Amino acid sequence: MKNKLKIYRAMHDLTQAQLADKIGVSRQTVIAIESDKYLPSLGLAFKIARLFNVKVEDVFSYEGETYEN
Amino acid sequence: MSIILDIMSKIYYIIPIMDRKRYNQFRVIVTLFVGAIVSVAVIRNSYLLSIAGVLTGMLFMAFVRSKAKIKIDEREATVREKAAQLTYAIFAPTIGIGAFLLLVPSYSGLSVFVKGEFVYLESLGMILAYLALFLIAIYAISYHFLNRKYGGGGDEE
Repeated sequence: MKNKLKIYRAMHDLTQAQLADKIGVSRQTVIAIESDKYLPSLGLAFKIARLFNVKVEDVFSYEGETYEN
Repeated sequence: MSIILDIMSKIYYIIPIMDRKRYNQFRVIVTLFVGAIVSVAVIRNSYLLSIAGVLTGMLFMAFVRSKAKIKIDEREATVREKAAQLTYAIFAPTIGIGAFLLLVPSYSGLSVFVKGEFVYLESLGMILAYLALFLIAIYAISYHFLNRKYGGGGDEE
């Protein structure tokens, strides 16, 4: 799982602490997500996407297997 | 009684609203204070002093915690879960094996530890065995309830 949180945060001119405050987590969590050390829950991923007004998959991308229906 | 309540409410209002860093500093200070009081109580052989010290520490920590703005976010919850899993995975087998080593050979007369002046170790083995059972029982019960809470155990499709 990769994410563009750092890029979106820079685009919106937010510090890690400001972003953490807005999404209701600690700064350490933002740092951990940005450095791909922690995978956020679905709820938090949606919160982040809504904050930046984008889709979840714009911020987070899954690089694992794909399945056909 | 009213004097104690008055003093407690004054202490409560004296404690400032704090962030995590300040909270951690307070926690270290309170721990050192309680440790010092208990040490003095042990030296003086006074149960009352140690109980008073621990209770004061608990009360003060409750005040501090209520004034602290601490977020326990999902990452920290995950860390706690993993730490609890690791603790269980290490502690349960350790006390289980400890109880086995102390009890089983002592009953069969082959014990390396439980002999002569070390006979009391058999009691320690019993304590460890019950502790292991208690730990496993708590795990099983909490697993059962949490599994039901999070949707497991049902047969519906």
